Amino acid sequence: MIEIEGLSVEYGAGRRRVLALEEVSLSVGEGEFVAVVGPSGCGKSTLLFVLDGLVRPSRGRVEIGGEEVRGIRRDVALILQDAGLLPWKTVQQNAELTLKIQGRKGDVGGVLRQLGLAGFERRYPGELSEGMRRRVGIARALALHPTVLLMDEPMANLDSLTRERIQNLILELWQRLGFTAVLVTHDIEEAVFLGQRIFVFTPRPGKVAEVVDNPGVGQAGYRDSDAFRDRVSHLREVLVGSAA
Amino acid sequence: MRRTAQYLLAALVVLLLWEGVSLILLATRGRMILPTPVATLSEAGRHFGELASAFGASALRFLLSLLIAFALGLPLGLLIGFEGSLYQLLSPLIYLTYPIPPVALLVFLYLAFGVGEAVKVVVITAALFFQVLVAAQGAARGIPRTYVTAVRSAGANRWQLYRHVVIPATLPEVLTAARVSVGLGITMLYIVETKLGLVGGPRTGLGRLIEYYTFRAELSLAGVVGLSLLGLMFYALLELLERWLCRWKHVGGPGGA
Repeated sequence: MIEIEGLSVEYGAGRRRVLALEEVSLSVGEGEFVAVVGPSGCGKSTLLFVLDGLVRPSRGRVEIGGEEVRGIRRDVALILQDAGLLPWKTVQQNAELTLKIQGRKGDVGGVLRQLGLAGFERRYPGELSEGMRRRVGIARALALHPTVLLMDEPMANLDSLTRERIQNLILELWQRLGFTAVLVTHDIEEAVFLGQRIFVFTPRPGKVAEVVDNPGVGQAGYRDSDAFRDRVSHLREVLVGSAA
Repeated sequence: MRRTAQYLLAALVVLLLWEGVSLILLATRGRMILPTPVATLSEAGRHFGELASAFGASALRFLLSLLIAFALGLPLGLLIGFEGSLYQLLSPLIYLTYPIPPVALLVFLYLAFGVGEAVKVVVITAALFFQVLVAAQGAARGIPRTYVTAVRSAGANRWQLYRHVVIPATLPEVLTAARVSVGLGITMLYIVETKLGLVGGPRTGLGRLIEYYTFRAELSLAGVVGLSLLGLMFYALLELLERWLCRWKHVGGPGGA
């Protein structure tokens, strides 16, 4: 589904030139859920922005569904770190923002109901709890019926209980809807809970240091299992090693 | 309702202070220097038609200037603030011209626009224009990147970016700046109506009325009260506009889990 070959991304020029990603190659299968972890500034978000068509690669090739990514695609949705809600738009307006911009017809009512946001359509983000705001961000992405869902730390800065609820919700949606998912996160446990494969990135410039297979994702009680704890410990060691 | 009560209470305090100062001056100087509120308001009642005409003329002048200042200053300020290359190019020019008080250029403006209505509107507009421009520019520069990314990620074109993000994100700050600028605008209105209103009668504006009745203190003071009410009216109008256009700023806290 996603093929990345020799991807490098540079920002700025001259003395301000920053190499965010260097020679990244990876592939993600159709319907697969992968997580990307790594230290701050290692280019994780840049990778998502390239896949979303917001940032152009400096070198290398990026394909989704066999087509080279050259700009924004209608079948790819991005969920931003703080949900990217516009405070001057209501829940309904925020959820249908992308559809409206792309001139597509669609009813977000069903998605809002699915995510427990029915009755809040006319509320502004400022009237919602943080967990509800994140769900509106998810609703905006799902309204597009994406084949690829990109998530840039969608659970960051949430309290642990709300974070677990949103993680469960994302897992359930992925199992039900079958989209291909790429999750960027700082949280090792989150990566192990959701990612069937976990790409560990080196500090800047970001490169793939290791790929950890994680076959337990989606199994009942996985979060409380020994396998889960072993995987978390292993990933922590890998991360510490890659940062050294 | 509570807001109205606060304004009424403030008006009462001003009237009481005014009355007190009048009586103190009368007692200490032995003659009436500052007419009392009662004397001023009864004189205003007798000349209501004249005062209303002057108020209407000033209000219209101010409204026209405010609209032109917004129509020019808002889009220009947003463009300069949001488009990096324009900011590099034009911001030095703004910071050079912004501090120049338009009244300092009165002679040139007088020569360019004559003594008619146009020059008065130009001077008031110039003062308000820079307030709106600088506020819009600053607000546009401070738009959080996440809003822009959210809309760009949806595939928005330049106009959609302005429509969905830049304009609504900056409106509260711009309207607040405009509200704060009402005082400056009223000062400019007074200056142009006194300096450039010599050929007109007292009905041509409150500034002119104040000047015209310099030696009829009660009536002159009634003109000052009119200016204060004019400022209050525009301040309240801009506040209402801000509450209507930026409802989202005034909503309550989280309502769900």
